[in-house]
Parts: sequence; C-alpha cells; structure tokens
Amino acid sequence: MTENDDLARIITGCKNGDNECFSQVVDMYASRCYGYFYRLTSNKSVSDELLSILFVKLVEKIGSYKGGSFESWLFRIASNIFHDYLRIKQRQRKLLDERKKQLELETTVFKRSDSEKIDNLQVQLSKLDADTRELIMLRFYSQMSFKELAKTRSEPIGTTLSKLHRGLKKLRELME
Amino acid sequence: MNGRNDENLKELFEKFYNSEQTYKAVEDVQKAEQIFREYPAPEPDKELIAGIKTAIAAGLLSRQRGIFRTIAYRAAIIAASVLILAAISINLLDKRGRSEKLVYASIIPRAIWESDNIAIDDADLAVLTGEIEQIEDEVLALQLGESDSNGDSAATELEMELIDADSYFWKG
Repeated sequence: MTENDDLARIITGCKNGDNECFSQVVDMYASRCYGYFYRLTSNKSVSDELLSILFVKLVEKIGSYKGGSFESWLFRIASNIFHDYLRIKQRQRKLLDERKKQLELETTVFKRSDSEKIDNLQVQLSKLDADTRELIMLRFYSQMSFKELAKTRSEPIGTTLSKLHRGLKKLRELME
Repeated sequence: MNGRNDENLKELFEKFYNSEQTYKAVEDVQKAEQIFREYPAPEPDKELIAGIKTAIAAGLLSRQRGIFRTIAYRAAIIAASVLILAAISINLLDKRGRSEKLVYASIIPRAIWESDNIAIDDADLAVLTGEIEQIEDEVLALQLGESDSNGDSAATELEMELIDADSYFWKG
C-alpha cells in the first residue's frame, strides 16, 4: 500500500467518523501545523490554541474535503484560522486605541513568556512582510508545490514564484 | 497534484528566468529551506496532542448522539404526521358514510305546506297549539299528583283528547 493509499484510507475513515483515523491525522500533521503557527505567531500558547482549533475544524469540515491534495486543504484551513486570529487581535488593538500599528509589526509584538527562547530564524522572519512570511511558512510546513501554493493563494504561479524567491533570498541574507 | 518533493525547481524557474538567474534562484530556495531544517520549530507538547485527541473523540461522540437524536426526532414527527393523517382520513370517511345513510323526511305532510288558505291554516294551528298546551298542563299535573281524578281515568281522558286533536288536525 502506498503512502497516498494509506492517507486516502485514513481520510475515508475520518469521513465515517472513525476516531482512530482522526488520531492518525493528528499524529501525521500536528508537528508541521504547529511549526506553521509558531513561526507566524512566535508564541507557544497561541500556537497551542490555534492547533486545537485547527483539528476541531478538521472534524467539522472533513465532509467538505472532495479529494486533491489533503495538505493544501488542511493548510488552507490553518491559514484561515491564522487570519481569523489576526483579525481578532486587530480588533482588540483597535479597542485599545493602537490603530497606528501596522499589521506587519504585529508578529513582533506577540507577547512571549519569559521561558520561551526565540531562535535567530524567528527573529529574522519577523523582519519580513506578513504576506511573504506566510508564503514561506506555507511552502515549508505544508510542503505544497509552487503550483499548489499559487492555486491556494489564487494568484499566477509566476507571482508566487518570484515573491517566494525574493523572500527566501532576503531571509538567507538576514541569517548570514 | 504533485507535492513539493516531486517538482522540478529548475524547470519551473526556467519558465520565468534565464539560466543564470534560474541557477541562483534554485540555490536561494534550497539554502533557505536548509535554514528551516537547521532551525526546527518547537514541537507541540504531548499533553496538547492528547487533549486534542480527547476533544476530537468527545466531538465525534456528541455528533453521533446529535445524528441519532435528529433521526429519532424525524421519525417521531413522521409517525405523528401519519397518525394525524390517519385520524383525519378515518373521520372524513366515517362522516361520508354516515351522510349516505341519512334519510331526509318531512314530519309535516306536504298538503299542509302547500295549502293556499293561510287564514284557515293559522286558525287551525292556533286551536291545535291551545290543545297541546292544555294537554301538557294535564300531563304535568298528573306527574306532580295534582289531578283530582284517579290516574287511570285521567290518562284515558288525555288519550281521547290527543286522538281528537290528531283527527281534527289532519282533517284540517
């Protein structure tokens, strides 16, 4: 049985409400999804929360998965959850009268607990613009191809390719 | 759709860049991805994963209960609808059956209704009404034991009066 057949069997089980199959999906994707959320938020407890929301949504929405790349589908939900979270944060900020702060700066403002050690990659990632940072995260953690990324973002593949290349090049320079 | 591991970066970049740019772009992408491998993001805690699995199990259970409840409610509604329809149908059929059995008949002869002499008919009716009232009074007196005569003769008298009234009425 190939990896794809195995995944198809697990997803079918999920659609039938099999708890064991959902557990397998969690084991397969929790690490990557958590990395995606963590690199975007720089906050462990927020990432914990977003990961929990993601898998709860997965149970709710598995019926709407109609085939194709499961990773693309899952990370599209993850991306939506992240954007919803950003919107809530933004609204809270507005309420706190911090309208002048741009979305781009938000990730650097995420509160971290003292015990959290932020690596150099996280620091440098926060210097990229929000859209590029998310694109890089999707590329690395979802393992989507450029074609899939372009489709997910509803933009031409050339745009995705050049945006990602520019971002990765800048990140590489920052890390050196 | 193929994943990232199946795609040929060089071929992809060559569609948009010249060969030198393509070489550089592929190198940039690969080196940046290498950085990600060197700096792995933290892993989710085991407790978090266990909590997520528990939440999923609970969610599935409540969803199954919800589905069962929905089916039960629907079945109950359908059963109730069938019962109501059956009751209405039986009621309608019963009414229809009963209406066929009904026989309409006039208790007053057609000759009376079709009489042209209204003045005579009115006078007859007045006499008849008076006699009926008198008989009613006598019956009432008998029931209450107020009559002076003995019961047998009183009843006979009443019977005679009724016969008189009846023959007088039908004779016109």
